[in-house]
Amino acid sequence: MRNIVYIVVQILVIMLVSPLVNGIIRKVKAFSQKRKGAPLLQMYFDLFKLFKKNSVVSDVSSWAFKVTPYIFFSTALAAALLVPVSTIVTPQEIPGDIIMLVSVLALGRFFMMIAALDTASTFGGMGSSREAMISSLIEPSILVSLFTVGLICQSTSMQQMMEAMKGTGIPLFHPVYIMVFLALFTIILAETSRIPVDDPATHLELTMVHEAMLLEYSGRHLALMELGAAIKQLVFITVLVNLIFPHDQLIAITGISAVVLSLFLYLMKVIFISIAIAFAEVFTVKFRFFSIPNLAALSFILSFLGFLQYFVLGGSNV
Amino acid sequence: MKIFSASALFQTSILLYLLAAIAALVFIKQQKWDNIISNIICIIAAIFGIAASLMKILVEDMPINISIFHSTIPFISVELRIDHLSAFFVLSLSLLVVCVSLYSIGYISHYIGKRKVGLFNFLYSAFILSMFLVMTSGNAVFFLLTWEAMSLLSYFLVVFESEHEENQAAGTLYIIMTHVGTAFLMVGFMMMYSYTQSFDMFGSSADIPILAKNAMFIMFLIGFGTKAGVIPFHIWLPCAHPAAPSNVSALMSGIMIKTAIYGMLRFIFTYLGVQSTWWGALIIVLGIFSSTLGVSYAFVMANIKKLLAYSSIENIGIIFIGLGIGFIAQAQGHLTVSALAIIASLFHSFNHTLFKGSLFLGAGSIQYATHTKNMEELGGLIKKMPLTALFVLGGALSAASIVPFNGFIGEWLTYQSLFANIVPGQAALNILSILSVAVLAMTGAMAAASFVKLFGISFLGLPRSEQALQAKEVPCVMNIGTGILVTLCLFIGLFPLPILKVVDKVVLNLMGTSLIGQLQGGLLIAYYPLQISGNVISPLLFFVVLVAVILFALLVIRIIGGKYSERKYGTWDCGFEALNSRMQYSAAGFSNPIEIVFKILFRPSRKLKVEGKLAYHPESIEYTTVWESIFEKHLYNPIFYVIKMLSRRTKFIIQTGSIHSYLLYIFVVVLVLMMYNTFV
Amino acid sequence: MSNYFDALSVLILFSSFILMANKRIKSYIKTFRIQSLLIALAAGIMGIKGSFEEGRIDILVVCLLIVVLKVIFIPNLLNKTYANIEYKVEKDFILNIPILILMCCALVVFTYFSLSTIDGINAGIINTQVVNSVSVILIGLLFMISRKKAIGQIVGFLVIENGLYITALFSTHGMPFIVDVGIFIDVITAVMILGFMVFRINEKFESIDIDKLNNLRG
Repeated sequence: MRNIVYIVVQILVIMLVSPLVNGIIRKVKAFSQKRKGAPLLQMYFDLFKLFKKNSVVSDVSSWAFKVTPYIFFSTALAAALLVPVSTIVTPQEIPGDIIMLVSVLALGRFFMMIAALDTASTFGGMGSSREAMISSLIEPSILVSLFTVGLICQSTSMQQMMEAMKGTGIPLFHPVYIMVFLALFTIILAETSRIPVDDPATHLELTMVHEAMLLEYSGRHLALMELGAAIKQLVFITVLVNLIFPHDQLIAITGISAVVLSLFLYLMKVIFISIAIAFAEVFTVKFRFFSIPNLAALSFILSFLGFLQYFVLGGSNV
Repeated sequence: MKIFSASALFQTSILLYLLAAIAALVFIKQQKWDNIISNIICIIAAIFGIAASLMKILVEDMPINISIFHSTIPFISVELRIDHLSAFFVLSLSLLVVCVSLYSIGYISHYIGKRKVGLFNFLYSAFILSMFLVMTSGNAVFFLLTWEAMSLLSYFLVVFESEHEENQAAGTLYIIMTHVGTAFLMVGFMMMYSYTQSFDMFGSSADIPILAKNAMFIMFLIGFGTKAGVIPFHIWLPCAHPAAPSNVSALMSGIMIKTAIYGMLRFIFTYLGVQSTWWGALIIVLGIFSSTLGVSYAFVMANIKKLLAYSSIENIGIIFIGLGIGFIAQAQGHLTVSALAIIASLFHSFNHTLFKGSLFLGAGSIQYATHTKNMEELGGLIKKMPLTALFVLGGALSAASIVPFNGFIGEWLTYQSLFANIVPGQAALNILSILSVAVLAMTGAMAAASFVKLFGISFLGLPRSEQALQAKEVPCVMNIGTGILVTLCLFIGLFPLPILKVVDKVVLNLMGTSLIGQLQGGLLIAYYPLQISGNVISPLLFFVVLVAVILFALLVIRIIGGKYSERKYGTWDCGFEALNSRMQYSAAGFSNPIEIVFKILFRPSRKLKVEGKLAYHPESIEYTTVWESIFEKHLYNPIFYVIKMLSRRTKFIIQTGSIHSYLLYIFVVVLVLMMYNTFV
Repeated sequence: MSNYFDALSVLILFSSFILMANKRIKSYIKTFRIQSLLIALAAGIMGIKGSFEEGRIDILVVCLLIVVLKVIFIPNLLNKTYANIEYKVEKDFILNIPILILMCCALVVFTYFSLSTIDGINAGIINTQVVNSVSVILIGLLFMISRKKAIGQIVGFLVIENGLYITALFSTHGMPFIVDVGIFIDVITAVMILGFMVFRINEKFESIDIDKLNNLRG
């Protein structure tokens, strides 16, 4: 029973909130440019409309092209099951840890890159090739930063890590957490194609990465890819808020009020991070493509320094 | 002797391989039958091998001794000794041989009438037999003999298509490198004999002083490292594996390089015993270099088989990282962590056998259908060869260590052993471990990218050449061979526990620690490194969730959007209206960003040749990139140079060509020997 | 309390990494300003703590000096120099930036190992703050090596000075006032002279590329 509630809450929250994050980011950006901007719920309308439209499929493409949206979407949603959004923490009943999380997302990415090559379009190849580079460079810092927190909490499973944080107080100003926070924030920008790495708002062949891979999609396929990308973004944000700002007193407490309260807190944190992302987008410019290694190196160094502070230099206890 | 004992089965298997080799020679005139008969005998032998090794591991606990030939000449006796470790490697060998031999029935048929198929099959069966004997030999001299036989037979297979000059060059490089490695092994074995007065590799090494043990460790590491293709001893591997016929490459990459892993476990881990932590640290450092450099080189290759060969180097690196953790933990006395790491590396080596075998077979199918290994001439094969495409996709996902395939489980276990190996307080080892984590992560992502390239460029898009356009699906037997391997990959990925139990049994026998209590049964595999529950994954459950979500998505979309309807239309071509295959991304273009980022590794020099009078409408553009091979330039060339200089000196000073001086040398040697006898 | 200093020391260390990743001379100055601000923050916290516990206010005065000098005066001076020269972006590095950053990382590890052999720094336990701040010194030096333009050299010099200052601050929790002031006067003089020199070099050679100094060999 608890499992079913967990899964339902998880899927509902993630699917409903993820387009909202995009809405918030766009709204903040619009305000910064003194525009009114599209309504907060614009992405829901877009998705709804896209689902109803029929698809145009390239005659060059094969089954890989049509299968990919489903796989991409379902890997994103399956990854979302691994990061709890509320207090309901079910140890061992939802088996999967951070390594699995990374691998699951890699499955989705693998198919997305393949589908981009399937249509024989230059844009697809370009996006795919660029995504290959960005993902290879950013992956080490994802795992090192998650490993660092995992080692402090002595488990690689997200739920166990949250349990271990219960009652420790919010470790906001600890060197390790500061470093990991900065690293994860950079990772979010890179993994969800945000501005210093990729520009989600353009269709210019010089700059686009993620959009280039989706260029041939239309109709329900496009909707699934967009929704999947939004879910993936929310998964990363959830990882960040769960590890850095845990609602620690509420972890693993059952009861309707605790769940509702924790969901409310979760939503607030997500909105906060979304606004932070929007600000990061407003205040930075897109990097030249071959400057991305600098960013990746910095984010790796952040996570590595975090690790050093705790496990080598022997910093104070968390 | 019981008929159904493991020992009898092993002997049958060996005899059958011999029979296959002989049959290949007997039927040399009827090439078609020769091929079928010898391959089928190989399959039967391999099935016996599977049965024998499984029986050995699961049922019998005592090592099997088979003495075939015991001579009065000292040290030369043919004796086999099969314990769990040997049986485990025989298991991977036999599994691979079943599939590869099935595949060969179809694949070799395109040699019929053109080449000496009988000779090929003889070499092929003898090569398998030699690997079998390497894994089961009972003393160091016999080990060395079979090792040498394995190297020579594989050399002949590498140069089988000897009309291409690059194949000959590859073969020469291979045989030089492998003999350098063997030389180091020989030094190690001689040291072993000089301290213990025996070549018994199952005996005790207590008499060997620690300094000599360290020296022997280095010798074995270089010797086996050369065979494993670990960087910087790898230079032969990316030349030799692509040069061999694809079924042989599958064997070489799938299992021959694993004999080195076997050797390291047998001679260093068991025989010498791990003496200090720096042994493990050195192995990890080698592993780190191999996996990063291997995968970066793999990514930029346009030749399918070269890409796979470099990917083998990468996977050997991952196995080495696991081994290194096992060695370190063993030296520190953390037996559970050590057992976990050894399980991880053995399991990954088993998985690598399966997926790399399937990928090389897939590459062979592509070559069979299109007569090219160059990705720049392929494309669009998914429509021509749907089954091959599916199998290569499966193998690629597995090699990229993506859930739910078996590659992921091996890598997950390696991550877990690294995780368990990091404890506050041991600064240098922690840094090494976290660097390994970073390297594994980067390797995973780059391997995924490499296999996206392999699959995407050669199977998707538009055909880039006439051969690719004319390609046809390969014969059914070939696809069965590949298919079995890929199915096994998926099966082990979903249900890793049966194989993990086998590996655990091997490790229990090897070091007396079992983790089976922590590797839970049922749907899950679980491991609890630090007495805290939680590190659990279940690929099967993930798979179920994946399928459920897809069905859910289909249902929801059907409700919202109604019936699916699609319109076929051309790919967006910016209004150009003449999209052709040359406009899609090429293999070189795909890997260009990484090549630029890792400039320091590749040192590419680019040449752009533009022909035609009009600046913006040239008639042809030719773009070539040449990578500087840093290891050959900065490590091997100086060594070769020194050796060449020394040889030249020798030629002028000692080898003068005059018969008198030669006689003088003999005279002096005899005198010195007699003096030695008199005075000592 | 030591948590805050740990965190600040890591942030100061990280700011020197960012400095290493910068390409534009304007961002050098900006990053230096941020680093100085962080140091002022550390000094400020320490000063408040000192004034409450021991009643000494000299660290607060030093903090004020840092704000005035390193956050406001020197960066402005550098900005002025920057406005007078034509080179705005460093183009050619001796090594590319990711490798430099990884080298900095190796420097931190190296500092740790070298300091761990010295006895007497906090009685056996290695002081994270000291390791981080000594690394800042080394990174400053590496920065000077890797940059070819003279203004990079000045910033590198200032970062070394920053590193020295926080090393002293974290290991002694407040040096004698007179030492601090002496150091500051030194730095001001050095920067003013260097800034002036850069300007003159630029005038004389029409470039601030220090590779051109090779010509002085004759």
